[in-house]
Amino acid sequence: MSDILAPRADVDSAPFWAAVREHRLTLQRCDECGRYRFPARPICPDCRSWKFTWPEVSGRGRVLSWVVTHHVTHPAFARQLPYEVLFVELAEQPGLAMYGNLRPAGAPVTSGMPVRAVFEDLTDAVTLVQWAPA
Amino acid sequence: MADAEGLRALRDQVAITGIGYAPFTKNSGRTPLSLALEAILAAARDAGLPVDGLDGIATHHVNDSAPVHEVAAALGLRDVPWYHEEFGGGSRAPAVIAQAALAVAAGASRHAVVYRALNGRSGVRMGASGGGRSVPGAELQYQQPYGLLAPSQSYAMGARMHIERYGTTSEQLGAVALQQRANAAKNERALMRTPLTMADYLSSRMIADPFRLLDCCLETDGACAVVLTSRARAAGLAQPVVTVRGWASVLGPDDLSKPGGDLTRSSAALVAPRLYSMAGIGPAEVDVAELYDAFSFSVLVQLEDFGFCAKGEGGPFAASGALAADGALPVNTHGGFLSEGYVHGLNHVAEAVSQLRRQAGDRQVDRAEVALCTAQPGYLTGTTSALMLARQS
Repeated sequence: MSDILAPRADVDSAPFWAAVREHRLTLQRCDECGRYRFPARPICPDCRSWKFTWPEVSGRGRVLSWVVTHHVTHPAFARQLPYEVLFVELAEQPGLAMYGNLRPAGAPVTSGMPVRAVFEDLTDAVTLVQWAPA
Repeated sequence: MADAEGLRALRDQVAITGIGYAPFTKNSGRTPLSLALEAILAAARDAGLPVDGLDGIATHHVNDSAPVHEVAAALGLRDVPWYHEEFGGGSRAPAVIAQAALAVAAGASRHAVVYRALNGRSGVRMGASGGGRSVPGAELQYQQPYGLLAPSQSYAMGARMHIERYGTTSEQLGAVALQQRANAAKNERALMRTPLTMADYLSSRMIADPFRLLDCCLETDGACAVVLTSRARAAGLAQPVVTVRGWASVLGPDDLSKPGGDLTRSSAALVAPRLYSMAGIGPAEVDVAELYDAFSFSVLVQLEDFGFCAKGEGGPFAASGALAADGALPVNTHGGFLSEGYVHGLNHVAEAVSQLRRQAGDRQVDRAEVALCTAQPGYLTGTTSALMLARQS
């Protein structure tokens, strides 16, 4: 599958993508105040500590909102139209949210719907976190 | 927190003395520099100011325009003491005007011109991913792989949440598009002037559900410029005096990294109290509102966030007819980005100035004394800014 936009990891986010490659969802958690954060950042936005670890999280969440795209915004997605992008709040912490596609594509989606993380290997080097009804 | 007393002392001290445009088209066949120069020359002429009187130049862009030093050189201005150039699209026009107002108020510039020039349709398009253009930001790596690439998609998620929470309808979104098209019919600059019916709106193709084509702004080649001058000097220039009564900006929280996940409340809710504090007036005093309308939903959410109606009531408010030129709150009297053209915000400011000068012709709003001009970022909770303008008669 060559029609992809591979994530461009940076030094801060590399551990997240490396874990996803191993089908594990890990998030930064502050060692000082215990709060999770996403996306990956060098310091905690709550207590500004530089100390953190990458615990594995439950992969459970709920749908906050979603969009169904019918229009080509990039050639890589032309053959997937229409496709859903979900805005998912993780069970670990209120407001801790991330995006992902709905799997299977075209499944019914409702506000607040429970979802679980699933891992999709797009190439030998690229894996994405996606979301399926729980 | 900003020094409220310091800002209030600047209330109405700077005027917008000139406005100018380069034509809005879908394919200009010109450079952004050429468009910028046309708009700037027109704005200086409108102010009654010789071009050599300009001693400040500012703009904002997303690497799609002519930078300030090229514009100065092309104008033959060889000793410009104040300039300002920042990266950003829709969030920035009021913020850049605020910077220019600060410069003029401080005496760093006597007559500062702010421009925005772009080939938004024939060149770099915001509605796509920019053709491989590299966009900075730590968050994009978590969005692009999922095909989340355009502002239409992220605003659609806000609209979806608003629909689910408050019962907002397609027809209410459509009411914004229809009203603005009706306004554009009276505006010779507007690109889209053919009246729309609700059936036209509902049958337009889906772009990013719940957004249809007619919920989305145009992509436009063109330019707009405004000249700022101290209020004292403005009285000696060509036009009725319109002052900057207040401004406010905010670096909003990123959409993913802060708690809440509430996409029904935009960063305008952070800007509004600061703007009203500096201006010393509130939503009840606003006679005309030029609300940033990259999408129909942007208007609904700002009606709420700027306090014109309660949270969740933007849809019914728009559908009531309140936004018409003779309604309770005339909105986007030129047709806005949905129907006039999309040059990232400055055309809202120029239209507000025309309204306050009572020079808006067939689309003139009665007794326009105070106008609100707003910005919106590429996603709902990002960076934004707003201006309040006032007629001094």
